[in-house]
Amino acid sequence: MENQNFEKKLRDMAKPEINQLKHADMLAKAIIDSKDRSVVSSWWLSVPVFIILMLLMKSIYMPGTTLITNIHELAAKEKYLSVIFFLISPALLIIVNAISIRKIHFLSGSPKSPGFLRYVWLNVLIILFSALILIIYSL
Amino acid sequence: MNFPWFKRIGIFYIPASIAGWIILIAALVFAVFSFMDIDGRSHSVSDTLMNFVFMLLIIGSVYSLIAYLTSRVPRK
Repeated sequence: MENQNFEKKLRDMAKPEINQLKHADMLAKAIIDSKDRSVVSSWWLSVPVFIILMLLMKSIYMPGTTLITNIHELAAKEKYLSVIFFLISPALLIIVNAISIRKIHFLSGSPKSPGFLRYVWLNVLIILFSALILIIYSL
Repeated sequence: MNFPWFKRIGIFYIPASIAGWIILIAALVFAVFSFMDIDGRSHSVSDTLMNFVFMLLIIGSVYSLIAYLTSRVPRK
């Protein structure tokens, strides 16, 4: 009886009757997850940014030194620490945040307009800062 | 183990279970210990603050990473 009712309901159905859109849930989950990732990323980005600010202050107050020479000096003194915070960490942050942006872009129907960027502006900012740190370190 | 251990409020992760509170207290105790250690070896207030803020950022980064990984409900 129940099966017959279900078949009749399917036959009479004129359009897809879905109470809740699955992909809307997926998009909401992806946006929340990207915000979580951007928070963790900003914590990890704060360490190299703090070091660069301190070295910038040092280069201002110590005549004859520049930010680049100070970074090279630090890299020679703290080999593993500098590789972790100036190379591995920014590279990982770029990859993780780019994946988040790509996922949201895909789930929101690959829009041509940059309107979806208002959901991922922090991720974009983190990618830009990470790229800046990589560039400064590689100079 | 009952997840999630933390919930996110702004840029901070707040404990949502006993395990979360244990991790937060451990992080705070380590921060206090490292402050005392840095203060004992430094030559001025600015020297202490500069090194302590650096240590605090590392503690915050590791804490937020642990909190992020344990704040998600596992898939069933």
